[in-house]
Amino acid sequence: MTIAQEQQASWIRNFNPLLASNSSRWPTRAGVYEPLMIFNTLKGELVPWLATKHEWSEDNKKLTLTLRPGVKWSDGQPFTAKDVAFTFGLMKQHKALDISAVWTFLDSVQAKDDATVEFTMTRAFVPGLIYIVHQPIVPEHKWKDVADPVMYKNETPVATGPFTEVKVFQNQVFELGRNPHYWQPGKPAVESIRFPAYPSNDQANLALLTGELDWAGSFVPDIDRVFVAKDKEHNHYWFPLVGNTTVLYVNTTKKPFNDVRVRKALSMAIDRDQIVKVAMYGYTRPSDATALSDTHDRWRNPQAVQAGDWTKLNIEKANAMLDEAGYKKGADGVRVGPDKKPLRFDVNVVTGWTDWVRAAQIITQNLKQVGVDAVLKTYDFSPYFERIQKGEFDASMGWTSEEPSPYFVYRDLMGTETLRPIGEVSARNWHRYGSKEADALLQAFEATNDPEEQKKIAYQMQDLFVKNAPVIPLFPGPSWGEYSTRRFTNFPNKDNPYAKLTPNTPPENLLVLVEVKPK
Amino acid sequence: MRHILRNLGLYAFAAWASLTLNFLIPRLMPGDPASAMFARFAGQLQPEAIEALRQAFGFTDEPLLQQYFTYVGHLFQGDLGLSVAYFPAKVTDVIATGLGWTLLLSGVAVIIAFGLGSLLGVIATWRRGGWLDSVLPPVLIFLGAFPYFWLAMMLLYVLGLTFEAFPIRHAYSDTLAPAFSAEFILDVLQHMVLPATAIVIASLGGWMLNMRSTMVGVLAEDYITMANAKGLSQKRIMFHYAARNALLPNVTGFGMALGFVLSGSLLTEIVFSYPGQGYLLIQAVRNQDYALMQGIFLTITLAVLGANLLVDILYVWLDPRTRAR
Repeated sequence: MTIAQEQQASWIRNFNPLLASNSSRWPTRAGVYEPLMIFNTLKGELVPWLATKHEWSEDNKKLTLTLRPGVKWSDGQPFTAKDVAFTFGLMKQHKALDISAVWTFLDSVQAKDDATVEFTMTRAFVPGLIYIVHQPIVPEHKWKDVADPVMYKNETPVATGPFTEVKVFQNQVFELGRNPHYWQPGKPAVESIRFPAYPSNDQANLALLTGELDWAGSFVPDIDRVFVAKDKEHNHYWFPLVGNTTVLYVNTTKKPFNDVRVRKALSMAIDRDQIVKVAMYGYTRPSDATALSDTHDRWRNPQAVQAGDWTKLNIEKANAMLDEAGYKKGADGVRVGPDKKPLRFDVNVVTGWTDWVRAAQIITQNLKQVGVDAVLKTYDFSPYFERIQKGEFDASMGWTSEEPSPYFVYRDLMGTETLRPIGEVSARNWHRYGSKEADALLQAFEATNDPEEQKKIAYQMQDLFVKNAPVIPLFPGPSWGEYSTRRFTNFPNKDNPYAKLTPNTPPENLLVLVEVKPK
Repeated sequence: MRHILRNLGLYAFAAWASLTLNFLIPRLMPGDPASAMFARFAGQLQPEAIEALRQAFGFTDEPLLQQYFTYVGHLFQGDLGLSVAYFPAKVTDVIATGLGWTLLLSGVAVIIAFGLGSLLGVIATWRRGGWLDSVLPPVLIFLGAFPYFWLAMMLLYVLGLTFEAFPIRHAYSDTLAPAFSAEFILDVLQHMVLPATAIVIASLGGWMLNMRSTMVGVLAEDYITMANAKGLSQKRIMFHYAARNALLPNVTGFGMALGFVLSGSLLTEIVFSYPGQGYLLIQAVRNQDYALMQGIFLTITLAVLGANLLVDILYVWLDPRTRAR
């Protein structure tokens, strides 16, 4: 099976699963080294994998995982709780490997017996579960002798996953073969997976059109005409809206964005239907005011959506609200604030991200209609990202957090934990908005394991978000996935949504890797 | 020989100057590499991990001068550091994946363009006003005005996709393993046809016109009339008397072009997914991978200097005046 996921002109041999996924070759973090459990975005549930069940203690400070019996490493050695404890130990010792920062809330990880691991936390932090169970596990008997696991390229992996044998590794192509000891009998059905190097989206898309690729996760413009029409019987795609949400960040430490009326008015002036149609080829839909994508559809609060009228186009009301906030139209049609400064600001976007650039163009045109002079500014990715992280911007296109629970989305959009002063790099909360009310809700969410209670709090978070409009949501992000059924079948799709189709989000792609069958 | 020795000092100075610039320029670029690295992981990494990685990479806030000495020291040990974009691979390993292929592709393309262009220039001037002289220059200039990658895409579309005459990507078939066999070499040549043709077409015009303009001057010289009067064969006059003298400016250009071979015919390589240096350079710039950038620039600099030395030697052979005291 031929797959395109990473974009490179030549491959570097690296199968270290403890590094972030862009460093090691796909699918090191899922298809080679497996996690304990996998969150299935479409079903909204945790799928047991190397661990069969998880259990919280009464006070939610202790998590016990029961491991699957009979799992073997690809060299035939048994997989045990010691391997799990060892992996987390490595991450404690080497901070650079702890990419989801689990040791900020973990206190200790212990192997109780061969099949039981106990995680003790410093505080009740239920949302941390997802980081723990998604961690790929490495074998202690191989890794205990590795001098520096941060610099380790692990060229010949020994792992529990379905594909562990490196059959070919050349600069422009590599191939992985089946694990002879895989714990799921009869799986994977695919003999081997192959990765030709494509330096950019264009080359990957070309290979998709010529029928060389069986599975890909790239953005294809106008896909019905370009790809599907070439071979209606075999060429398919599925773009469920389970990515992160694209939003317009406005710097809430600055005038006029510190005024909620202005934020809502600007949002009401934006024609999201046009953005979706023109900039996004109709692949998505306008976002509602909760800023949640379909990943969190189960959590959506209908009342909050109802109350969030400020994501609907309403020029009249936008004008009225800006007037009310003290920004009156000046002689040249541009509004002037109470401080006599014209309402003029930059909208930052990344050079070459054509869908975003077009969206931002539409936004600036829309805003002109309500007397706001917004100017499009394009930057290369790294200066763009530096500006947004340091909070040195007026308005900027950006994305929200993608973790399974809405807790993370709202922690990063309105919690004070992620808040940093202007000029200091912040991983999240780029618009610098923090609310004590949100903190209380977030803390309550962290401490509860009761689904009903969690839902109630999530509803309250949405009400709070809709009331304050910390950022301006634009559209939920599609998760890109294309496949051809010429040689292989049983990919997930609209009619058989057993997992996300996209290969881009580990570890969920592992669910697809073991299910796909040769024709 | 003295001519070459005299130049060696100059080369050493040039090497030092470019090493230093090589060190400075990436550091003058906007943006901070650690946050750029952060960017590459788009939210996958938590801030604590970033801080730890920063240390692993050796990003320091040391004064520039100190960084400079460390840089030069490591350089002499052949240690170019770790690549950020391809962490934790060494820069030397990363460059090694593409260097050979770029050398091969661009080297072959430049040699063909130089040889063919110069030859066409000689022949066109020799039969001045002939069809070759009147048709070819405007056509080649027209083609040369197109960007490399546009020609590359046209070739890919017409010859690669529509007629399926040549492979459209990679340096060799994915099903073959690199080996010294006739099959593999033939395969490599086949894969080279389209990208090399794109580069040759785009650069042929320059070589031909240069050659033509100097040839025109040389043909008016007295020694050509003299050779004609002595009744030497036309071929001998054309190549030994005229072309050899007219070639000098083109040889200088050839030296420059050979050096720049290493910078890779960037976009052509990307269009054909050729596993060369061009893409590496773009990756390095995008990720603010100082170490990789420096490594690539260093190979380019050394190549330019090396090629110039080669040209100096060629000059001694071509132009007897440089041999005189």
